[in-house]
Amino acid sequence: MAQQAPHPHVESGDTEPEAQGLRKIIHVDMDAFFASVEQRDNPHLRGKPVAVGGSSGRGVVAAASYEARPFGVRSAMPSVKAARLCPDLIFCPPRFDRYREVSEQIRAIFHHYTPQVEPLSLDEAYLDVTDDLHGIGSATRIAQLIRERILKETQLTASAGVSYNKFLAKLASDQNKPDGLCVIRPGEGARFVAGLPVSRFHGVGPRGAEKMAVLGIETGADLAARDIAFLREHFGSFADYLYRAARGIDLRPVRANRVRKSIGGERTFADDLSSGPALRAALDDIVEIVWERITRKEGHGRTVTLKLKFSDFRLITRARSLSRPVENREEFARVALTLLTDALPLPLPVRLMGLTLSGLEREQSAEKSPPEKVQLRLL
Amino acid sequence: MKATIERAILLRCLSHAQSVVERRNTIPILSNVLLEASGDGMVKIMATDLDLQVMESVAAVSVETPGAITVSAHLLFDIARKLPDGSQVSLETADNRMTVRAGRSRFSLPTLPRDDFPMIVEGDLPTSFAIPAQTLSELIDRTRFAISTEETRYYLNGIFLHVAEEDSPVLKAAATDGHRLARFTLPRPDGAEGMPDVIIPRKAVGELRKLLEEAQDENIRIDLSSGKIRFSLGGESGIVLTSKLIDGTFPDYSRVIPTGNDKLLKLDPKSFYQGVDRVATIATEKTRAVKMGLENDKVTLSVTSPDNGTAAEEVPADYSAESFEIGFNANYLKDILAQIDGDTVELHLADPAAPTLIRQDDKSPALYVLMPMRV
Repeated sequence: MAQQAPHPHVESGDTEPEAQGLRKIIHVDMDAFFASVEQRDNPHLRGKPVAVGGSSGRGVVAAASYEARPFGVRSAMPSVKAARLCPDLIFCPPRFDRYREVSEQIRAIFHHYTPQVEPLSLDEAYLDVTDDLHGIGSATRIAQLIRERILKETQLTASAGVSYNKFLAKLASDQNKPDGLCVIRPGEGARFVAGLPVSRFHGVGPRGAEKMAVLGIETGADLAARDIAFLREHFGSFADYLYRAARGIDLRPVRANRVRKSIGGERTFADDLSSGPALRAALDDIVEIVWERITRKEGHGRTVTLKLKFSDFRLITRARSLSRPVENREEFARVALTLLTDALPLPLPVRLMGLTLSGLEREQSAEKSPPEKVQLRLL
Repeated sequence: MKATIERAILLRCLSHAQSVVERRNTIPILSNVLLEASGDGMVKIMATDLDLQVMESVAAVSVETPGAITVSAHLLFDIARKLPDGSQVSLETADNRMTVRAGRSRFSLPTLPRDDFPMIVEGDLPTSFAIPAQTLSELIDRTRFAISTEETRYYLNGIFLHVAEEDSPVLKAAATDGHRLARFTLPRPDGAEGMPDVIIPRKAVGELRKLLEEAQDENIRIDLSSGKIRFSLGGESGIVLTSKLIDGTFPDYSRVIPTGNDKLLKLDPKSFYQGVDRVATIATEKTRAVKMGLENDKVTLSVTSPDNGTAAEEVPADYSAESFEIGFNANYLKDILAQIDGDTVELHLADPAAPTLIRQDDKSPALYVLMPMRV
């Protein structure tokens, strides 16, 4: 069967569809992935509030089942807080090997429909289905088929968003969660974004939303009403992204062979921190969150970077590289703590702290590339 | 305090002190050296980084007023360095300042009170023994290159010292960075029996080695507990180096020393070293691997670099086991070969992925284990 033109606006084969014409992007996001896998594998957990993550000390929730969410339990929340919000919450230790297995199954389904798959983590991915390999005829139909096959093969539900760029597709998949599908058609993007609270924008955290509220910006429409100069004045390098996002514009291609260079996370504090114990406690929290992210994204990196932003917005970074990838959470925490301790005493209170693991090596790519010269270990 | 010291003596002491003092300090007093002049004509000079402390007593030309003060170690060292040879240096304190006079020069330096100067509390050091300075120097040289610099494996950041009963009682020193291991064995000195296993931090090892350079044929007295170690060097003045020990467990390294490696390679360590050094010239930072092709009485060293091409060199050798290839980090090989004094070095090999044992011969007190690279 002759290949269908992806969209009437694409006129000839020599134009780059990603830069020129309209694309068809699907964002697939598994519903409460880790928690759902646990509920599937352990029938006694079904219908009950479940959190995957360590329950003691400084553990954080890696995933919360939908039964736990009405209580306010969210991922990245300290487990202690989650247990307080939901006293009947059942904690399961994470089984990443199991999640990886299921993730492989799901990725195989994606690859049936397109080679253009960009995994974001074990449980979500972008797919570019502009080229309709099987002549299915519509991206919405492909998204529906993918969701059906995931359910049939894994007994797990996924939500999908369909649109003409990554930003909108991701917003759409979040719209009718769980087990939902949402389509944002060409021409609808700006209107869809206009009605959203700014906190739904990827990259806008609680402190960012607070700052925008002070400036009178609460929705995408408020954001779109501001000019680029205003945004640059208040949000610096983040302004260009906000400006485009407020208009539903996102030209980033789906990158199938994307090699992630770093994984990190940061936190802006409600009150600036200055004492050593407070900084160390905050660091512990960030270690938990970032390590969970590293595990979920299968990162193996050698360099740990600590970022500190002071009350006067001055930014410093301190980094340390090991001769081999960071092996476990304890080692990650130890390097992070060394970096913080070496930076003490600090000249000013800290408003933001972040940790990044970089120099990432992917296990898979290491296997495929020609055999590298490797120093073997004695001890 | 007022005292006068020979510039040469002051300079020597300060060079020891400033080397212990860290260049960057968040606690101001740790940048300072403690000077203490006593009525018997001696001046004590002391420096610390809280983990390591050096104390030296020297005879002054004169002590007019006994007393004690602390001033910047690096500053005073730099001044002493630039003062004329053969001059006498007078140190006098007044009004939170110390005046340094020599010849026509005069410096007035800020000070901090001696009471703020931290001292390492040695506590009880129940184990005491002595090792000749030369033996101690050799022990350090043969092992310290293998000390790990990786701070996350802090328990490898030093030389491990322990006693053992073998055919006869021995004292062993070992260091490893997880890729290679160096071990030095000597007969157990009197008094070392029953000593706790200790890990001497890298910095203490380095400072001790420098001080041993100046020690002649003397015996170095070592006193230790499970937490601290003290080295007393006699000489004309008397230097005492006290260090905290690394609080950690050194891994059971004996299990990685191969015993059944059946392929014996013997060659001249100098031509081997030079050959490795030559072919490694083209190795880039990431791939410092040297491949060794072993054949009957011949070793072919080779390096392949994606950027710089290839290099090869044949080294005559004594080898009669089966032919095979094995790779090593060139720098690791060179570090070990540099410690072999004789005309031959023995490599006991098993296969390209197994630890290789390297030593001068079976009587040598030093033994090395090197893990290959996969090439």
